[in-house]
Amino acid sequence: MTARASGRARGGAGAFEAFAKRALPGLEESLAAALPAPDPRAPALRAALEAALLSPGKRLRPLVALAAGELTRAPKGAAQAVAVAVEMLHAASLVLDDLPSMDDARRRRGRPTVHLLHGVASAELAAVALLSRAFEIVAAAPGVSPAARARLVAELSRAVGAEGCCAGQSADLSADPTRLRLDDLEAIHARKTGALFVAAVRGGAIAGHASESALGALTLFARNLGLAFQITDDLLDFSGDPEEMGKDVHRDAHRANFATLLGPDSARRLAQELLETAVEALSAFGAKGATLADLARVVGDRRR
Amino acid sequence: MNKDGEISLGEARDRLRELGYLKSGVERLVFGRAFAGRGGVLLPAWLAGALAFAMSGLAAAWAQEAPLRASPAGAGVLVFHLFVASLVPSGLVVLVVRLLADLSSAPGRDSAAAALAAAVADLGLWIAGTRSLGGFATTALVWGIPVAAAALLHAAAIRSGFLARAFAHGLLPEGPRRRVFAGALSLAVVATGVLLAVGTPEERAVSAPTPIPRREPVIVVAVDGLRHDAPDGPDARAVVAMLSTGSAGWWPARPASPPELWMDLATGEPSLEHGVRALERVRPAGSPVSLRPPLGTRWYLRGVGPRIATVESAPVSSGERRRLTFWELAASSGLPSAAVGWWASGRWPGAEVVDNREIFGRAKDGAAADEAAWRAFLPLSSRAVATVYLPGCDILRNAAPERERAAGKIREWLSELLPRARAGEIVLIVLTADSHAAPAGSTGRMTVFDRETAAGLRRIRADDVAPSILARAGVPAAEDLPGAPVPELFASGTLETSRVATWGPRVAPAGAPSRESDKEYLEKLRSLGYLN
Repeated sequence: MTARASGRARGGAGAFEAFAKRALPGLEESLAAALPAPDPRAPALRAALEAALLSPGKRLRPLVALAAGELTRAPKGAAQAVAVAVEMLHAASLVLDDLPSMDDARRRRGRPTVHLLHGVASAELAAVALLSRAFEIVAAAPGVSPAARARLVAELSRAVGAEGCCAGQSADLSADPTRLRLDDLEAIHARKTGALFVAAVRGGAIAGHASESALGALTLFARNLGLAFQITDDLLDFSGDPEEMGKDVHRDAHRANFATLLGPDSARRLAQELLETAVEALSAFGAKGATLADLARVVGDRRR
Repeated sequence: MNKDGEISLGEARDRLRELGYLKSGVERLVFGRAFAGRGGVLLPAWLAGALAFAMSGLAAAWAQEAPLRASPAGAGVLVFHLFVASLVPSGLVVLVVRLLADLSSAPGRDSAAAALAAAVADLGLWIAGTRSLGGFATTALVWGIPVAAAALLHAAAIRSGFLARAFAHGLLPEGPRRRVFAGALSLAVVATGVLLAVGTPEERAVSAPTPIPRREPVIVVAVDGLRHDAPDGPDARAVVAMLSTGSAGWWPARPASPPELWMDLATGEPSLEHGVRALERVRPAGSPVSLRPPLGTRWYLRGVGPRIATVESAPVSSGERRRLTFWELAASSGLPSAAVGWWASGRWPGAEVVDNREIFGRAKDGAAADEAAWRAFLPLSSRAVATVYLPGCDILRNAAPERERAAGKIREWLSELLPRARAGEIVLIVLTADSHAAPAGSTGRMTVFDRETAAGLRRIRADDVAPSILARAGVPAAEDLPGAPVPELFASGTLETSRVATWGPRVAPAGAPSRESDKEYLEKLRSLGYLN
C-alpha cells in the first residue's frame, strides 16, 4: 500500500472510531490490570475503584493520549501508561465532582454515582487511590527516558493540581452561578475539562519525545478541543435526553453556562469554530493527524 | 452584552481569541462545510472563478470599447452576462481541481499550486484578452487592481476548496497555509509592473496631417473575390488581363473575414490594431457595446444567450474600428473624399460615405450589390479620394454564371476609367483580394494606373496599400505604421514624401445604427451567404 493510500485508510470520517475500535480492548485490559491487587481487608475500596474506573465510558481522554502517542510514534507501552494514568485522573475527578459536598450528582455513566453506591468515604478514598496510582504508573512508563517520565508526572500533576482541575472545581463552587461571565466560564472549564485534555494530548506526545513545535500544535488542538467539548456538554445539558446521556441533565438550569450565556445557536457555532481551529492546528502533521482531526468531528457530533 | 446577560457570538470570539483560542485562521466558508460533512466545498471556487473570468473579460472589453468607459451601468450589465457565461469554464476548472484534490497526497503543496495556476490563468486572460483586442494602453492597467483582487479571491477559494476536499478524504495540509496569498499577490504586482513597463501610452487624437493636394483625383476600386491566379471565365480573365497592364504589387493572401481583410487594406494596420474582426459580434442585453465573446464564453454568448433572448447578434460596424481608413484620413486632412460600400465604414466628417449596409439593403444578390455600389459611386467619383468596394464576385463565388456576369460588369466599369487614368485625369488603383478562405499561394494585388506607368509586378505588403493611396493623394505617411508608400508603383515623383509621427486613433462620431437596422443588416448578410 502506498503512503497516500495508507493515509487514506486511516483518515476521513470514521477514522477516530476505527482507531477507538482498535485501541479500546487493549485500553480496557490495561485499565483493569492497572488497579492495585484486591485487598480482602478493604473490599469497599476495591469496589469503589472498580466502579470509578471500569464503568463503561467513552474513554475519550485516554484515546486522545493514545492517538497523540501514535502520531508521535511513542512506544506502545509508554503511550498506554499515559492513557491509563489520564483515565485514572479523570475517573478520580469525576468521583470527587459528584460528591455531596461538590456537585452532589446522582448518576454518572448511566449508573448511580460512586458515593451513592459505596458511600462517601469509600468514594473519597478511591479518588485518592486513583490519583496516586496514576502518578505511579507514569513514573514507571516503559520505553521512555527518565526525563520524559519526570515531565509526564509534572504535566499530569499540573493538570489535576492547584492550576488544573482543583482550581477549576474550586472556582466553580465559589462562583455566583447566576453571574458567571464568559471569562469565568472559560477559566473554570479550561481547568476542569481542558487541562486534562491538554495533558492527555501532551502526555502522549511527550511519550513519543515530540518536538516543542509539535507539542505547541497539539496543545492548541487540545485547548480548542477541550473548550468545544465543554460547550457541547453545556448544550447537551441544555437540551439533552438524560437517558441517552446517562447522567443528570438540566441541573445547571439555574446557573450560567456557555449555552445560556451565548444562546444555543451561537454556542453551537462557537463550538464548531473551536473544533475547526483544533483541526487546523493539526495541519503540521498532514495525514498522520487524521485520527485526532476526526476526533474533533466526533466531539462536534456527540449526543451524550 | 444584552440586558439578559447574553453576549454576542462576535464578543465571545474576540474574548476567546484574547484567551488563546481560535488562533489559527481558517477559511471557514469552505473548510467548515467539509468539517461538518456538507458538500459544495468547491462552490465558492466555482463562483469566484466565474467572477474572476468575468472581470478579465470586462477589463479586456473596456480597453477595446470606448462606449463602455462612459457607461458604468453598461459595464455592470456586461459583467453580469460575462459572469453567467464564465460559469461553464469556471465549472470545468473546479472539476479539474476536484480531481486533483482527490488524487493529491500533499494537499498543502498541491492546493497552493492549483491556486497559483488559477491566479495566473485569471491574469493571463486579462493580459491576453486586452492585448488581442488592441494592445495595452497604460490606462488599461487600472484594471490590474480589480482583476488581481478577483484573481486572489479565486486563488483563495480554489485553495480552500482543494484543502476541504482533501480533508474530506482525511488528508490535512502539511505546511504553512498563507504563502499562496503572498505568492499570488506578488504575481499580480509583478504582472502589473511588467505591463506598466511594456504598456504603450494612451493614444490621443492628433491633428490630421496637412496634405499637399494633387491635381488628379485618386479613385480606388476594391474588388472582392477576383482571383488573379485562377480566373474562372472569359470576363474574369479579361479583367485580369486588363489589370496586368498596370503597375502592380502583390502580397500573400491569408484567410480572414471580409471586414477584417478589407479593413487591413483600408487602414494600413492589422486587425489587432484596427479592431475589426468578424462579420458578427454579440450584444448582451443591456450592454452598450457589442463584443467578441471572450474565451470560454461562447457557449452562452453564442449558444444559450441568443436562444433565451438575453444576447443578440450585432453586425460588424464602424463603431468597433479604432483606426482611420484612407478616405477618413483624407477627409480629416481637408481632401474631399467618398467611400461607397466598404465594410465597417460609417459616417465621417468631411467624407461622403455610403455604408456597406446601405448598399446591401438595395441588393438582392452580388451582382445587384455591385450595381448599387457603382451607381452610388459614380456621382462621388470626382472627389480627391474616392473609393468603391465591389463584393459581387465574392458573394457569387458559388454561382459561376452570375459571377461571370459580375466580372463582365467590372470589366466594363474599369474600361471606362482606364483611359482617363492613362490620360492623367485620374489615378486609378484597383485592389483585388479574395476574402473567403484563400488557398495557399493565392495573392492580393494593388494595381496602379497612373499616367503612363509601365506594367510590372513586385512584392509589397498589404500594409503598404493605405499609405501608398494617401501618399498619392498628397497626405504624408505616418511613421508608426507598419507599411510605407511604394513609389515604384506610381508615376515618378508623384508621391508625397514627407512623414508625420502618427495618424492617431479613430474616435467614432456620435450616433450608431439602430437595433432594427442591425437586424435587417444581419438578415441581408445571411441572405447573401455571409452568415449561416
